[in-house]
Amino acid sequence: MTNSLEIPFFHVYLPGLCGPGLTFCLDGFRLIYLTVGMIMWSVSGIFSLEYMAHYEKRKRYYVFFWATFLATMGVFLSGDFYTTFLFFEIMSFTSYVWVAFDEKPESLRAAQTYLAVAVIGGLTMLMGLFLLDKLCGTLEFEALLPKAQEILKTGGPRAKELYTAGILMLTGFGAKAGCFPLHIWLPKAHPVAPAPASALLSGILTKTGVFGLIVVSFQIFYGEMEWGLLVAVLGLTTMFWGAFLAVFSINLKRTLACSSVSQIGFILTGIGMGSLLLATGEDPALAIRGTLLHMINHSLFKLVLFLCAGAVFMNLHQLDLNQIRGFGRNKPALCFCFFTGAAGLAGIPGFSGYISKTLLHESIVEYGAYTGNIGWRFAEWIFLFSGGMTAAYMTKLFIALFLEKNPEKQMEFDQMKKSYIKPLSKGALVAAALLIPVFGLTPGITMDGLTELGQSFFVPGMKTHPVAYFSLENLKGAAISIAIGGGLYGLIRRFLMADGKYIDRLPKWLDLENLIYRPILEKALPGICGTVCKYLDKYVVSIPVTLFLQASALVCRSMDHMADGVILLARHTTHSQIPSPFQKQKKFAFPMSGIKGRLIHLCSLVEESFSFGLMLFSIGLFLTIGYLLVVFFGVL
Amino acid sequence: MFHMEQHLHLIFPVILPVIAGAALLVGKPFREDKRAGRMVLLSALGLELVLVAQALIKGGGMVLWRLTGAMDLVFQIDEISVLFAALTSAVWLLVGIYGISYMSHEHRENQFFGWYLIVLGVLIGLDFSGNLLTMYVFYELMTLTSLPLVLHERTHQAVMAGLKYLFYSIAGAFLALFGIFFLAGITESLAFTPGGVMSREIIAGKEGLFLAAVLCMLIGFGAKAGMFPLHGWLPTAHPEAPAPASAVLSGIITKSGVMAVIRVVFYIVGPDHIRGTWVQNVWILLSLLTVFMGSMLAYKEPVLKKRLAYSTVSQVSYILFGLSVLNPLAFAGALSHVVFHSLIKNALFLCSGAVITVTGRKRAGEMRGLGKIMPKTLFCYTIVSLGLVGIPPLCGFVSKWYLAAGALSSDTGVWSFLGPVVLLISALLTAGYLLPISLNGFFPGEETPWGDTCIPEEQGKKKEASLNMLLPIGILTAGTVLFGIFPQSFFHTLFGIAERVF
Repeated sequence: MTNSLEIPFFHVYLPGLCGPGLTFCLDGFRLIYLTVGMIMWSVSGIFSLEYMAHYEKRKRYYVFFWATFLATMGVFLSGDFYTTFLFFEIMSFTSYVWVAFDEKPESLRAAQTYLAVAVIGGLTMLMGLFLLDKLCGTLEFEALLPKAQEILKTGGPRAKELYTAGILMLTGFGAKAGCFPLHIWLPKAHPVAPAPASALLSGILTKTGVFGLIVVSFQIFYGEMEWGLLVAVLGLTTMFWGAFLAVFSINLKRTLACSSVSQIGFILTGIGMGSLLLATGEDPALAIRGTLLHMINHSLFKLVLFLCAGAVFMNLHQLDLNQIRGFGRNKPALCFCFFTGAAGLAGIPGFSGYISKTLLHESIVEYGAYTGNIGWRFAEWIFLFSGGMTAAYMTKLFIALFLEKNPEKQMEFDQMKKSYIKPLSKGALVAAALLIPVFGLTPGITMDGLTELGQSFFVPGMKTHPVAYFSLENLKGAAISIAIGGGLYGLIRRFLMADGKYIDRLPKWLDLENLIYRPILEKALPGICGTVCKYLDKYVVSIPVTLFLQASALVCRSMDHMADGVILLARHTTHSQIPSPFQKQKKFAFPMSGIKGRLIHLCSLVEESFSFGLMLFSIGLFLTIGYLLVVFFGVL
Repeated sequence: MFHMEQHLHLIFPVILPVIAGAALLVGKPFREDKRAGRMVLLSALGLELVLVAQALIKGGGMVLWRLTGAMDLVFQIDEISVLFAALTSAVWLLVGIYGISYMSHEHRENQFFGWYLIVLGVLIGLDFSGNLLTMYVFYELMTLTSLPLVLHERTHQAVMAGLKYLFYSIAGAFLALFGIFFLAGITESLAFTPGGVMSREIIAGKEGLFLAAVLCMLIGFGAKAGMFPLHGWLPTAHPEAPAPASAVLSGIITKSGVMAVIRVVFYIVGPDHIRGTWVQNVWILLSLLTVFMGSMLAYKEPVLKKRLAYSTVSQVSYILFGLSVLNPLAFAGALSHVVFHSLIKNALFLCSGAVITVTGRKRAGEMRGLGKIMPKTLFCYTIVSLGLVGIPPLCGFVSKWYLAAGALSSDTGVWSFLGPVVLLISALLTAGYLLPISLNGFFPGEETPWGDTCIPEEQGKKKEASLNMLLPIGILTAGTVLFGIFPQSFFHTLFGIAERVF
């Protein structure tokens, strides 16, 4: 709206640093995410003071805690993809330490997965960047748009290459964001990382991936129909699959992690819808503002929810719902915080999640109405159903934690009423949680303000017009989701509980990581390529060399024996001095007997040699004459 | 050439280490006295650095020996000499300092140092060479004088490995010699000239043989650089040699092969004469195959030093690939990788040597929990490993960036895409074979989930290697980081070289 918001506050290019040079840039969106990052790091930092107090290797944790902070801020401040990639990789490696921190077998395995996804994703992205750099000649966000548009307009192979680059980058950023089918690291890594770290992993590290995707979608594939469709479909799949996994999970932090996957799906859908709306020339404001707000909201929710989970874990060292149920009873602060997070996530009116989800929902409806395609009705229902599942699994968590009684340890839990959390941590947690209803109740001031500040990052020069968030039409969507959620929760109690216990009914094999990725990456590929390389390495020189040596030895030996062979042949035939074994022995003994014998032997040898010499000479003569004849008659 | 001004100062950096080394080998006082030997080594290495520096700064050329009118042994300093000689003498000093500590656990220390110094002199001579003949002479000398480094342990395996090294090197050199004969036959001067000495008229009519000769030289000199199919000596020779020897074999001597290839292609033949020919395609294919094969085999290799040797096979072929696409950007990337890989691989070998000295462990699987015993060593190992994988902001990333950017902007058809893809797959494998040691070292876990042996806890007191060994590792690591963050002026120089050559 106002021009001042669209100009970056600062834009720095540091030439030559780390190769081609680094670009940093600050604008409205980045300012928002800088603030979100600082809030998140300070709240979880405060919480860490208590949470990490009993760990031996605190120093290591804090070093990497703040290193990751710097790297993440670097990603959000980056003004070109080179800088983004640089800080993105640093962030991946420093945050690895969080996941592996506990050094339990499952943390090490999860950390392995995390690292593998990060490295593979990073390298895939790098390939995309190589291609992009080659095609556009620049990686700077602002300079990319005109170049990319030009390429896309001309079409042909260059446009295809650009799409290849885009998909490679989508893979890289999507892996970090937790997009299906590369979401595998989230449900593994979050439960094992320390809770403050999980909050950051889920709340803001995934957003760096989203940040990259936003740039790819709006600075490269601006208004590209196919691209928008791809992202939207990925988003819908991720949204549904994450929520589906979350419904089945019976581990508190795992549920939240799967929920993160699902919420990232909502955000991706928003990005996809924005692209689609741009492609058709419609106003993408709904989708874009929904995306932006849902990013912020999700960061907040996950901060609050994971820290609540951390409060549970630091007291009980358990995350299994059956073990921790009833822990939250008589702990109003914890209950309040968890409730705001849950209600926000479920999109209950009055909490901030409602606002962003409504906007996203409206964007699907708007696009569906524009195209009139039945598929978008279906998409809308996936959206509403995923929202319903969100409501269902959050209800499940809330009821288990705060309403149900623990059959065994309720007394013990109730005694922790005062001691379960220190005032400082509690204060930070409640302060963060308070933001959710405040945002949710004053969307016109807070949320619209945020969108005005941030939206020019997506599409510059967009008009904002006030939305009646609490109109009947908009409340209807939320109501449908909540109703579905209620129904689903009934089903959960009916089918996913037995004897009053929560059961994980999801089949164990339905784990993409163990089902597909690990066998391929750990067994199949190294097995096949390794064997091929091993044989190449071992035999490619040795076989030719051995063969050559053998063959040349054979040839040389036969050359060596050629004269002898002729002699032997002669003795067998013309000279008929066939040495029978018996005779030979005799002959061999003979020269030893006296001078006379030797003399005779010598004479016979001379005689023989002379005659052989003559014979060889005549053979040579024969050959020479033959050759001369041939030359003479000019046969050659 | 006949009236060339004689810059005699060029001879000193070549002669000094040879004399000092010979003294160590035959001098009686050094038989028993280890201290004296070390003093000679250190002062020779230090002085050598100064001599090389002044030779490089003053520049110039000299005729070493006039065989016949057309065959001179000539020294001539140019930008490639500067790059390689500076790298060689600096790394030699660092590894030498490390070697003093490392070799004190071994036998016949002074003999090792003697040969170590002699090889340095020969290498500097190789770097100073002004024409193909001189280079060939020093190249052969290098093979022969570096052989005792491989043989040093005098075990059966070491002797066999030495023989293999000799066989591959000689076979390669003879292949190259054929090319030299051919080139000498068709042109008058084999003096190194940026952009090559060949012209269309010279080659006209003999294109087929010319290209075959070039390929022979590529494969022949590629043997030293560990290029498929003559890479086999590397993984055999490295594990048998003492750590300092492996480090310089891998970090510097393989680079001599690279330098020979650069000299042949860019200073004699001229890149334009092989651009787009089948020779270029074969060269790219071989180098990419080596890149992939090396890292794949490294990934499967349990013995750390052997793994690093395979890694060298792979990484040096990054350089050859960068050269083979004949593009200025990739050329600069390749030259930078010469330096960066040298720093990194030296550091890695020195780390593995430090681990062997302190714990006696050689297999990667046995190093679980190493971070508790040797945190500094493992920290340096981790940094340089990340650099080798190509994680920003470490130097390996910068060189790979330019390699890939150059490959993509070269007009080599399908290779321009396939090359970067192979480089990235290899980077993934590099992460796969280097990082587990750091990860398991720093995060051994309470129990050992993958059945690897853990360094026992009671041993788990900090027990770093001596300062002599840590310092060179630290300096190399710092170089890795600094070159990664501030590569600007270095690349400025490299782009300058690339401009003259293309």
